Amino acid sequence: MSLKLENPSVVLKQVGEIVIENRPVPKLQDSHYVKIAIKKTGICGSDVHYYTHGSIGPFVVKNPMVLGHESAGIVVEIGADVQNIQVGDRVAVEPGVPSRYSDEYKSGNYNLCPCMVFAATPPYDGTLARFYTVPEDFVVKLPDHVSLEEGALVEPLSVAVHATRIAKVTFGDRVAVYGAGPVGLLIAATAKAYGATEVLVIDVFDNKLELARTLGATHTYNSGGDRGLSEADLVAKQLAALNGIPPNVVFDASGAEPCIRAGINLIKAGGTYVQVGMGKDDVNFPLTVMGTKELTVRGLFRYSYDDYKMAVKLVSENRVDVKKLITHRVKFDDAVKAFELVRDGKAVKCIIDGPEDI
Amino acid sequence: MSRNLANPSCVLYAARNLVIEDRPVPEITDPHYVKIAVKKTGICGSDVHYYQNGRNGLKVVKSPMVLGHESSGVIAEIGSEVTSVKVGDRVAIEPGIPSRYSDAYKSGNYNLCPCMVFAASPPNNGTLARYFMVPDDFVVKLPDHVSLEEGAIVEPLSVAVHSCRLANVTFGDRCVIYGAGPVGLLIAATAKAYGATEIMVVDIFDDKLELAKQLGATHTYNSSEDRGASEDDNRTFQLAAFGGNVPNIVFDATGVEACITAGINLIKVGGTFMQVGVGKVKIEFPMAAVGNKELTVKGVYRYSHDDYRLAVKLVGEGKVDVKKLVTHRFTFDHAVEAYEVVSQGRAVKCIIDGPEDAE
Repeated sequence: MSLKLENPSVVLKQVGEIVIENRPVPKLQDSHYVKIAIKKTGICGSDVHYYTHGSIGPFVVKNPMVLGHESAGIVVEIGADVQNIQVGDRVAVEPGVPSRYSDEYKSGNYNLCPCMVFAATPPYDGTLARFYTVPEDFVVKLPDHVSLEEGALVEPLSVAVHATRIAKVTFGDRVAVYGAGPVGLLIAATAKAYGATEVLVIDVFDNKLELARTLGATHTYNSGGDRGLSEADLVAKQLAALNGIPPNVVFDASGAEPCIRAGINLIKAGGTYVQVGMGKDDVNFPLTVMGTKELTVRGLFRYSYDDYKMAVKLVSENRVDVKKLITHRVKFDDAVKAFELVRDGKAVKCIIDGPEDI
Repeated sequence: MSRNLANPSCVLYAARNLVIEDRPVPEITDPHYVKIAVKKTGICGSDVHYYQNGRNGLKVVKSPMVLGHESSGVIAEIGSEVTSVKVGDRVAIEPGIPSRYSDAYKSGNYNLCPCMVFAASPPNNGTLARYFMVPDDFVVKLPDHVSLEEGAIVEPLSVAVHSCRLANVTFGDRCVIYGAGPVGLLIAATAKAYGATEIMVVDIFDDKLELAKQLGATHTYNSSEDRGASEDDNRTFQLAAFGGNVPNIVFDATGVEACITAGINLIKVGGTFMQVGVGKVKIEFPMAAVGNKELTVKGVYRYSHDDYRLAVKLVGEGKVDVKKLVTHRFTFDHAVEAYEVVSQGRAVKCIIDGPEDAE
């Protein structure tokens, strides 16, 4: 049982093999760092991808690696220069620490820092252990009424916040979201919170579309029956699902080529398309349509300045009910089961508890 | 003579009380820092305020302070983690170091960091000494064909770059600049480099307006006769001087209420007005015009990410001839005389050499 281990950690030894083993308790890296006892961790599609494939794009698991990056916990130790966080504070943990000297950090885009140390992206260990350390400006204190479970969901919610802010979603916007996985669902909810008045979510599962509605989507469309249709017919059906008026903002949270093409064909001229989902490296892309419609096409990578804080605020002000995403809860010692569940497509969001206290 | 002192420094004790004295040589303690032997330093209007009054607005010199912040030099020593420059490199020095942890820094606006440590802004010492230290990302290497003197003018040029970038100056823009001091002149030159096709500089001295033309201004206007003219008349005169062009971008590099008013009246509807010059804390401002003309009014404070690098690039590519601003040169031991000359308003840009090497 992990109970008796000093720092039990969920480790991916190699593709297909996850074990729980003890690891050295991390020390504070410098006087600005805080140490957190991890209490809740969500599983992300990327974690599962490392489990099943051992790599994502250029990131390859070459040595055993602690998994997990969507976490919340309780601060147990603070460095000498920490001013705004105290021992005992409940916090959401932002799991990627950039270099403070990079051009990317200095220009306000630290998510793009080439020296980024991101939890559970090889070769760096993740948060699924008893303890994890980050600098104090990479935790966000949770208000008393926000649970640690909600705190763990702040991580994917921050991706949704970053997407919504990049697209400058505002009152009156008509938004379409392809993909009702956790990120797509949270983008729908966040776009609504930022003022979008029509939010269409598209996927192939009715139960996910139902969940989208409970999170704020005003329209949904099940495209499961549409394989084989011409692109013109596809667009016509999706347009009809939005009462005939095209969206001015489209998010792709699927990474799937047919969705990307549909989104570009559906979007209003002059609109903004944001690529959130990750799929094949190269896709067949309707470049001429992008030109003739004068579209803005934006890429997105994780989250940047202020997104984590805004995500906590959205939860705290009840604008996004992140709890609705949780379909499974598992104890730390059953972590392997949790990964299998998610791998088999049975969960929306599965939360793993931190190890029990010694 | 200062040459035999370890670290001779120009220290301001009180208004008009400037002495050269020895100070401890700074030692590198943070591995990201570099130590520069300062070779050329320009004098700025803010330095002159400190020299004449012992203060610059609300910033008061309470204890002796080394002056100077517009400098270039030669790298003398580098910290253990420095890879971007080496000993012997000639560099322009960016003299303001922010906190790496502040929200302002993290959001891409490090010039607004509340913990900024800026050279010769009390209580921080300036660059007019033998040595000065900054982190390695706060120096910009000078290309071989760019002189150290030009390197010192990179500092005010960076203010001009920041102003033009914030204004999004681009090809075809029509710009009017109030004030032909170093910053106004450099804004004119930079706006030209960024593609502006009509640029008018307004001031009250013909020789400064002539210099503006050499730096790229296409039109100039001497407004010295216009005191007492109505706002409407001022607009008419300045519009005529600009060949009937209505500017879509106006920079104020004076801080003077009458210029600000004239600029707001002259600017095109939908235009962008950039407040660069620092004057009175409160002025009467034509707010209704801002609404009726749907203007964008932006403040400018020093410079931020990439401005220094772009300023060096402008000089390196021959797009802005900063040498034209230099009207006076003094050796280090004559620094006090340099400040006196600039105080009398006779210089455009005065350069002070670094101390000579020890014998």
